Amino acid sequence: MAEDFLSEATIKRNRNKHRIKIHSLQLGLAVLLLGSWQLMADHKILDPFFYGRPSGVMHQLGVWITNGTSIGSLWINAWVTFYEATYGFLAGVILGIIFGVFLARNPTAAEIFAPYIKVSNSIPRVVLGSIFILWLGLGSVSKVALAFVLVFFPVFFNAFQGTREADHKLIANARLLGASPRQVTTKVIFPSALSWITASMHVSFGFALIGAIVGEFLGAQRGLGLLIATAQGNFNPNGVYAAMLLIAIMALTAEWLITKLENRLLNWRPTQVSGTEL
Amino acid sequence: MNSGSPVRFENVSKRFRTPKGTWYQALANLDFEIKAGEFVSLVGPTGCGKSTALTLLAGLEQPSIGSVQVNGKDVIKIDTSTGFVFQHDATFPWMNVYNNIAAGPKFRGLKNHDTLVRTWIAKVGLTGFESNYPHQLSGGMKKRVALAQALINEPSLLLMDEPFSALDVQTRSIMTDELVSIWESTGSTVVFVTHDLEEAIALSDRVLVLTAGPAKVKANFQIDLPRPRKARDIRFTEEFLKIYQDIWSVLRDEVDITYQRQLIAPGNEK
Repeated sequence: MAEDFLSEATIKRNRNKHRIKIHSLQLGLAVLLLGSWQLMADHKILDPFFYGRPSGVMHQLGVWITNGTSIGSLWINAWVTFYEATYGFLAGVILGIIFGVFLARNPTAAEIFAPYIKVSNSIPRVVLGSIFILWLGLGSVSKVALAFVLVFFPVFFNAFQGTREADHKLIANARLLGASPRQVTTKVIFPSALSWITASMHVSFGFALIGAIVGEFLGAQRGLGLLIATAQGNFNPNGVYAAMLLIAIMALTAEWLITKLENRLLNWRPTQVSGTEL
Repeated sequence: MNSGSPVRFENVSKRFRTPKGTWYQALANLDFEIKAGEFVSLVGPTGCGKSTALTLLAGLEQPSIGSVQVNGKDVIKIDTSTGFVFQHDATFPWMNVYNNIAAGPKFRGLKNHDTLVRTWIAKVGLTGFESNYPHQLSGGMKKRVALAQALINEPSLLLMDEPFSALDVQTRSIMTDELVSIWESTGSTVVFVTHDLEEAIALSDRVLVLTAGPAKVKANFQIDLPRPRKARDIRFTEEFLKIYQDIWSVLRDEVDITYQRQLIAPGNEK
């Protein structure tokens, strides 16, 4: 009995079928969760005063978009939080890489700094937010500083470890081929530490957002964190959820961009496994 | 042209600290010389210190006692006029074939290296694969990249540490042939470490048999098979088999010693 391979069209059709099935189940789950929340709130099983409801969240967003918030335009507030997180993220990533690679390449310096790094890493860094507000004021700079310290350490440790784990054979090979110590760092160590570094970048944009928002909780004139604090003060759970939704969109967008960057930087790898692909 | 032999080991001993804190002696009073343009294989039982001898020659390690000289000078640091082909893959995974082969000229700041790089890509038969990354290549192709990467710098001394041991038997014999023809055109001095006796005889002008570790030179065999050689055909000739038997009778005792030691002290091999 002769059997044929499945045709391309059949394979494609099967794949599409599978995808449609998964997506409709995902959508169904969302409808189920949000619908039961809405129903329970409508029938006072969940008190909407404390728990809010999906329709209220949408309404709140609509009001914010059309009329602005109590602290000014929604877009300005979202933008402020976004750039605070982004600046903190970029500064943390860049300095984390520089210090991580430098210390891993200079064992003596690493030995000297080791206890200081351990101590500063053991401080719960969120408390530094208060110090930064005292030092740098209520403006954006104190939030950027907080986001920076949250991002710096994970990137630093990954860059340090990635550098330490660089293949000694490759380093020896580069030196025999005529590479200077500087070329070894830029052409061998850095590329091999890069998968460690990008792995830490996935987590750390989340940290940068935490830094910006906690900073805004502690004292600010603008930002989504302040918006959440205000909504909390006004017993407005829908406002808290609406701001949360915006933050989630922001985090997902950043994650998507980081994954793009990662795939581009690491296109030489055999498999593209990104840190957060579930 | 050079004062002194291209390679000279003078009474060299080398010991390493083991993870347990004891010392492991890899080489004991190793003493030999290699002439300019000679292709010499070091053979010996597993873990006898053959590879250690190469790392000393490359300047990756320093001898504990004695001196290692290249072209009449003590090797005290990495010498970039030495080429090294590693046992395991040491091509840069983030560089494509072109950039891997161009690495040496680029590191050395050589201008207009494009023609040179393309010549070497052609010489090792990788034309058309310039933009492939190492993970997209077969084991034999990766070895060609490594070979071109080392030879493009025109090293006066080429060190090879069991370069073909990870390849399958057929690819290995093809690579051996190619190495012979490439080497015959460059004429650099080669020290080749292997425990494949056939490979050693097919390639070399001289085979040095080392003792079970710590290694010293046990015997020295001149291989007078005619060149240019075709490694794949030569191994069935009578002369070849004769040499093989001679060397094996010497090597066998050392292999036995190593094997007995491993039975007595498992996990003690280097």
